Amino acid sequence: MELDDAALVRASQQGDRDAFGVLISRHAQSILSLTTRMLGAAEAEDVAQDTFVAAYKALPTFKLDSKFKTWLYRIGVNKCTDALRARRPNTSLDAEPDDSAVMLEAADHDTPLSQLEQAELAWALDQGIQALPLVYRESFVLRHVEGLDYDEMSVVLGVKRDTLKMRVYKARTLLCQSLATFRERNENGAHVRRSRN
Amino acid sequence: MGHMFDEAGTEALVQRFIDQELTAEERVRFVSRLGRDEALRQRTIDLETLLIDAGRLPRPIVPDGFAASVMERLPAVRPSRRLRDLLWMPRTLEWNFVGAIVPVAVAVLIVAAAVVRQTPTTEQLAPLSASVASITPVRLAIMQPGARMVQVAGDFNGWNPAQTSLEQTTDGAWTVTIPLKPGRYAYMFVVDGRRWIADPFAAEQKDDGFGARNAVLDVPSAPMARPTL
Repeated sequence: MELDDAALVRASQQGDRDAFGVLISRHAQSILSLTTRMLGAAEAEDVAQDTFVAAYKALPTFKLDSKFKTWLYRIGVNKCTDALRARRPNTSLDAEPDDSAVMLEAADHDTPLSQLEQAELAWALDQGIQALPLVYRESFVLRHVEGLDYDEMSVVLGVKRDTLKMRVYKARTLLCQSLATFRERNENGAHVRRSRN
Repeated sequence: MGHMFDEAGTEALVQRFIDQELTAEERVRFVSRLGRDEALRQRTIDLETLLIDAGRLPRPIVPDGFAASVMERLPAVRPSRRLRDLLWMPRTLEWNFVGAIVPVAVAVLIVAAAVVRQTPTTEQLAPLSASVASITPVRLAIMQPGARMVQVAGDFNGWNPAQTSLEQTTDGAWTVTIPLKPGRYAYMFVVDGRRWIADPFAAEQKDDGFGARNAVLDVPSAPMARPTL
């Protein structure tokens, strides 16, 4: 019979590395998806690995008071934040974005339409997600890519449910605008510069 | 597309509709309004389309060897406190010895691994070749205030008292700790190299085949409660 996550966690906490190997295999795609959407493909695998290594080191402190996957997402989000800080060491990533600034950033992100004559909408959406301010990006990814509900997100991000809803709302609005811009420029054959992100 | 709503209430309504959080009445009013308000209808369609597209984003393929790469990066096995507690949890066996020859002889067997980490050599104790997890450290103690030397001989050391000497502590007590595999062991104390002392109050004794009786010690394979003697 297949062991559930809690049993595998307990075995891992007692030094059973094979049990942790099963947990890695079970959740690798979710964490890789998270890091890919948050950071882009170039850094995704390394940060996903970092997430599992950090989880293993922190296992003795994990009291199974939430789902292992939720706890893992939390570590993954923190690792993504660390990676983004490393990219922009002088930029605050935690502050709630100013709406006007956010609009500009979302509307002005450079999309390489010239290189994407056959671009798929998914690519544009991916770029739009990665252009979002961090607090909107992590909320949108967890809600609509990873499929967490607001309560789970609250555990992962340590943020109140209502605040998360507002962030998701804003992320949706920004992405709608971003995709609209992409479509309009695509239809007009306009060239758009590649995002610096 | 890209139409912005000035009314925060309308925007919140759309978002709540998307999240399926409207009440039945709100939903009826909202859907009715969709029929009349083209901008609202387009806004709703854009949001719904966005979520469909997000849900269809391709899932990354986990590279072969991903798990193996992570496993290679994991630090060396370090048992958690829980396991250490299990291994070293004090497990106490108390035995009282009253010697017939000496005024007071009390033997106390204490399984107290939390304070005992010394490991005898394999020459001393053959059972030590077993895995650490199956070893139970057993502390033997005896009151011999006037003794100069106390040793123990038993099944665990080939009945050679020279292999296992007790150390004097305070108040005439002598102790030694012996890691033992689960099993059944007969033993006797040897005082000053000549007096062999059995335990008249041991939970069990058995004939030694030479007209005397040995104390018998059972080492359990799992942690056990302090026996009542």
